[in-house]
Amino acid sequence: MSSLLKVNNLESYIGLFTILHDVNIDINKGEAVALLGRNGAGKTTFLKTLMNLVATRSGTIELNGESIVNVPTHKIAKMGIGYVPEDYGVFDALTVEENLRVAMWKDDKETLERLDYVLDLFPDLKIAYKRMAKTLSGGQRQMLSISRALVNKNQILLIDEPSKGLAPVVIEKLAHALKEISKNTTVLLVEQNFAMACAVADKFFIISEGRTVERGDIKSLMADKKLQHKHLGVI
Amino acid sequence: MILKKDISKRMMIFLGILLIALVILPHVSTLSTTTLFSRIFIMAIYAMSYDILRGYMGFINLGHALFFGSGAYIVGILFNNIGNTVPMFLVAIVITLIYSSIAALIMGKIVFRSKGGGAASVVAGAMTTLALGEIVRHTAERWRDVTMGADGLSFRIPPVFADRTMFYYYALIFLIVMTLILRQFINSPTGRVLMSIRENEQRAEFLGFDTEKYKLIGLQVSGIASGFSGVMFGVMNRFVNTELLTVQQTLNALLITLVGGTGTLYGAIIGSGFVNIVQSQLLNFRRVHPIFERWLLFFGAMYVIVVIFMPKGFMGLYYSITDKRKSKLQNQTIKETSGKTS
Repeated sequence: MSSLLKVNNLESYIGLFTILHDVNIDINKGEAVALLGRNGAGKTTFLKTLMNLVATRSGTIELNGESIVNVPTHKIAKMGIGYVPEDYGVFDALTVEENLRVAMWKDDKETLERLDYVLDLFPDLKIAYKRMAKTLSGGQRQMLSISRALVNKNQILLIDEPSKGLAPVVIEKLAHALKEISKNTTVLLVEQNFAMACAVADKFFIISEGRTVERGDIKSLMADKKLQHKHLGVI
Repeated sequence: MILKKDISKRMMIFLGILLIALVILPHVSTLSTTTLFSRIFIMAIYAMSYDILRGYMGFINLGHALFFGSGAYIVGILFNNIGNTVPMFLVAIVITLIYSSIAALIMGKIVFRSKGGGAASVVAGAMTTLALGEIVRHTAERWRDVTMGADGLSFRIPPVFADRTMFYYYALIFLIVMTLILRQFINSPTGRVLMSIRENEQRAEFLGFDTEKYKLIGLQVSGIASGFSGVMFGVMNRFVNTELLTVQQTLNALLITLVGGTGTLYGAIIGSGFVNIVQSQLLNFRRVHPIFERWLLFFGAMYVIVVIFMPKGFMGLYYSITDKRKSKLQNQTIKETSGKTS
């Protein structure tokens, strides 16, 4: 199977600091992949580098065999990478409806069907459809952020720590929704919550100090307590 | 900060009554009141054009008057040099449209180079627009052969515009048409993208929008609307000078939008009405007491009072009252429903 997203020897930096030293990842179409690692390992920076929000120093990033290094962010998004940032990235002064509509590149039947799909997936948003985004709870904001990335026909979704700061019951709901999403879309999930990552992903990569150090099947990681403890601090 | 799209039935009735009152006004008022209202309508469009930048894009343009003043100069120069006819007025409109588009494109290409929307980039952008506005003003002042420099340019207008009452109706139609166009623009997908850029430019980018392109479109639409209002202003005054190109003229638009409510579009109409009527009344009071010779002091105090007590302007105050009422009604309905079920 050919890779949908292939990253080789990636090195990226912010100002004077090199954050990613050597990241190597490949994701096939239809896979749900978890990117794991401790705080400060470089997971969020990796997603930002993919979106060209953080500068690449060396290495390659290919989407369907096409290089996306130094391609403007909006073009990367249009190539089919949906990005759900850590801070949700919703527009507070717009309503839920406007947040979703602003993200829609087209107004065609297919897009409207996808809009219906996300509203079915997250009924909370349907109820709060006319409400301002600033009045939503953390979980609802996360749902809105994910939905916004889903209304367009993306090839892959990059989701950054969706469980952060959410109540366990909301995390469970989100994990269920992400599992549903992963049936139709390739997902790269950055997650600190190991249980959530296991519930969603089939495959994993571990980043430590800006380097990919482990990879494999998520089931093997679930069985390997030593590895979990070493890189994720799971006791 | 967003435009309320759904107009209630009550609001429709109010707007209908207001329209009838405005149609009747010239027949029941003095000529000076009719002229004052023509000015209000034109300045409202000018302020609306500024509101698109400030309220919907979060962009501070200190050189915005260059579009307004240039529109007035274009019509004046054409009437003076080629002929004061209606076709020439239409030519002035077309030239203003092209000129404003190109000027906005040049301004945007220079100002929107730096991305990020941080405080430093906002200040740098504002300063650059100030400099560009000053370049145009200085050029108009020095180009005496065409513009008559600082003395200003007087010109004759087509007879069809000469009657003050008729001109009042043209200005009213101009206001209605431009309001509908700008409203449509703000509610369009492009308008929504502009609002998202105002909220957070980087987020708009990773949603797949070329933010620079959208900002350029916003600036062009705003520049064209401002240019058109300048054309009408020139025709109304039959005179244009470099005062219309100064930063003071830009600040007039800023203050009108602040008073009316930034990011509301309609606030510009209310702001223009309030500011122009207060200014006119203060000038009239000079006959009552000599202290009103210093009318600008009172005018400044009025702004301070408005900013302190209505930081979101008249429309902001109106929206907060209606929003409070709506949420009160919603809470009441929820209470009633839960009461019935229990």
